[in-house]
Amino acid sequence: MKLPRAWRQPLAITGGVIALAWFVIALSAPLLAPHDPLAQELPRLAPPGPGHWFGTDQLGRDILSRVMYGARLSIPLTLLLVAMSVLVGGLLGAISGYFGKWVDETIMRFADLVFAFPTVILAMVVAAALGASLANAVLAVLVVAWPAYARVTRGLVLGVRQREFVLSGRLLGFSAWRSLRVDVLPNVTGPILVLATLDIGTALLLLSGLSFLGLGAKPPSPEWGAMVASGVEVFDSWWVAAFPGLAILTVVLAFNFLGDTLRDALDPRTARAIKERAL
Amino acid sequence: MATRSRRPGAKAALLPVLLTGALALAACSGGGSSSAPASGGGGGAGSKTLVIDTSFDLKTADPGRTYEPTGLIVGKAAYETLLTFEGSDVTKPVPALAESFELSKDGKTLTLKLRKDATFADGSPVTADDVVFSLNRVRDMKGTPSFLLDGVEVAKTDDTTITLTSAKANAALPYILPNPALGILNSKVAKEHGATADPNDKAEQYLNSASAGSGPYTIESFNVSSQVVLRANAKYWGQAKPAYDKVVIRNVEAATQKLNISRGDSQVALNLSGDQVAGITGDLQVTRTASANVIFLLANRDPSVSKVTSDPKFAEAVRKGVDYAGLLELAGEGSVQAPGVIPSMLLGALPPEAAAGRDVEGAKAALKESGLVNPTVKLEYPSELTVNGLSFQPLAERIQANLKEVGITVDLVPAPVTTALDNYRNGKEELGLWYWGPDYPDPSDYLSFLPGKLVGLRAGWKAGADKELEAAGDKAAAETGEDARKQAYTDIQTKLNASGPFIPLIQPGQNIVTASSVTGLKFNPVWTVDVAGLGVK
Repeated sequence: MKLPRAWRQPLAITGGVIALAWFVIALSAPLLAPHDPLAQELPRLAPPGPGHWFGTDQLGRDILSRVMYGARLSIPLTLLLVAMSVLVGGLLGAISGYFGKWVDETIMRFADLVFAFPTVILAMVVAAALGASLANAVLAVLVVAWPAYARVTRGLVLGVRQREFVLSGRLLGFSAWRSLRVDVLPNVTGPILVLATLDIGTALLLLSGLSFLGLGAKPPSPEWGAMVASGVEVFDSWWVAAFPGLAILTVVLAFNFLGDTLRDALDPRTARAIKERAL
Repeated sequence: MATRSRRPGAKAALLPVLLTGALALAACSGGGSSSAPASGGGGGAGSKTLVIDTSFDLKTADPGRTYEPTGLIVGKAAYETLLTFEGSDVTKPVPALAESFELSKDGKTLTLKLRKDATFADGSPVTADDVVFSLNRVRDMKGTPSFLLDGVEVAKTDDTTITLTSAKANAALPYILPNPALGILNSKVAKEHGATADPNDKAEQYLNSASAGSGPYTIESFNVSSQVVLRANAKYWGQAKPAYDKVVIRNVEAATQKLNISRGDSQVALNLSGDQVAGITGDLQVTRTASANVIFLLANRDPSVSKVTSDPKFAEAVRKGVDYAGLLELAGEGSVQAPGVIPSMLLGALPPEAAAGRDVEGAKAALKESGLVNPTVKLEYPSELTVNGLSFQPLAERIQANLKEVGITVDLVPAPVTTALDNYRNGKEELGLWYWGPDYPDPSDYLSFLPGKLVGLRAGWKAGADKELEAAGDKAAAETGEDARKQAYTDIQTKLNASGPFIPLIQPGQNIVTASSVTGLKFNPVWTVDVAGLGVK
């Protein structure tokens, strides 16, 4: 089996390999991690070296093990968050675009209202109001993330709903739900999938940012943002913040590469350009 | 055909990557900020300028309203008090503006003889009227430090004699008077600028721009968020003249303090943690002393707050389950275990050998006796608060791990200080991690930990909960002799450790780093550093 052309680009391969590596780490952290991520059994603030390749933190915990276990928290939560944003935003956007009139006005003005606030500030306010926990941080990010999907979906649905195949379906007596599901959604999923993939990085960053500010994961859970925050207190021991920071960086980078690739693959114009370049 | 170089969306895709970088950079920068001193910085001893870096906790330079650590440093330099402490020793008040003092046998009257040679910075003499005005002003203005003189009547007997009379025995008064908040003002100057010695007093604005004291330094400029500049008092009356022409106290975060002092931008750094001073190299001097702050755990005794912690056996299990040596390791050098709630340098402190030790089996046995099986409790603490550079976060995580071994599951509930304080002050915390710094260096300040008193109530320990201990507290408060007081307070702490809801943990170290050119540094738990005591090598 041969990979489609867009997926054979170096960035696509890099992104895919990094993302795959993180999935493997997340799934098999208990097998791979050399130490219990919560065990305070090693020398404090030991620099990277044999026995603790990423060094240890203030409490003598192995940072490598914590970064590995952190993947089990950060990655699934980010994917869940993006999936929920797609679901909520996509559904509202589709309803808005399909039905138009006051439904459209109401949903879009509400989306505008959310857009009017700076994303991070609004997420902080929501997280602080709900109380510090990872679940609440996910909810907070969801609150700020859905309007982007609603707006994109609405635009796409608006473009599709007057097309002949949709109108003919309606004339055949399809219900609005069936029309949306059968005729409209398959024609708008591509761009939304691209947006969602590109958004994974942003969502992870926002989620880690909330934990960094103390509004997300509760100690002692090995969440990457919280680990970076604890590293700030030990300025000299760079490894405490650097490795969880690198973990965030690589995941964000990987999903951005994948998002770009997906876009190339799904956008006929860029797909053609890649094909020509390859020739 | 040439392909397009980048797609429009690519920039947007890069944004999260850039933000990640920013997050990593934020972590590495330490968030510190340092503003260069007005003088141009780097002023070493040669130019007779001293630069002190500290994390500001500062609201005012008006001594009558000062109660914050940085304010006390400024107050100590610009104003003088009737009594003072020498160096680090806070067990023995010594005369300053007073030349002698005597406490009556009933402990109710303190008589002070005033020096005749002391003068203010403008050359006018320090009189008994200035003393009466200044002390009455502190008490009647109802500012933060006014409680220090609650119920104390100040009177001038003659031109050089002052009496301070309390309704009840007040053996703590000689230990309270050295507080820089009770610095003596030039009453004539203060009155000219709106001082009225009541809550309508308007002299603060003036006292934030200039000083009206007799101290070795005067305030040249005062900015509550960036820096305070002190200038040597050219007319200082005392024997020890100020060693520096100018002292700049700057607001700098701990991580940046370390950078500044390492590269010679400052000569004193006051807020480095144990971990931070561990990496100090070169010819810098590090003074490591135990601070007077006692970090403790409280297990709420109110059954309506917690069915678990209200059992005295639970507190015993926690006391035996905590690994004190492990906490000291986190706190770094200079820290000591707190055997009782009264810190080691105060009269009545328990000896180090009286400190609790870890006994996991004993803790398990105490838990078994309580009938609690695998209890789960919430440990609340202020997440962003640091005491002497030590964050509460790792302490809480270490305690959580310690108690897990005993069979107690601890859920950590960090909260911003203001939120956490609410629950603490209202006595709603199941298990709390807090600290207490002395309001004045006298053991009577720690009677607050008894049932029905300020801190006791915060642990749900109501009046009448331990009548024997409460009676011992009343007796200690009425004692006046030094030996009798010492015995009374050690007895109280022994009982408090045996049956109280408090588990004293550690006194974090106060680490002060100075350039090799600076001499005479002594940590004092009341004013941290006496700027006038610093010399040039």
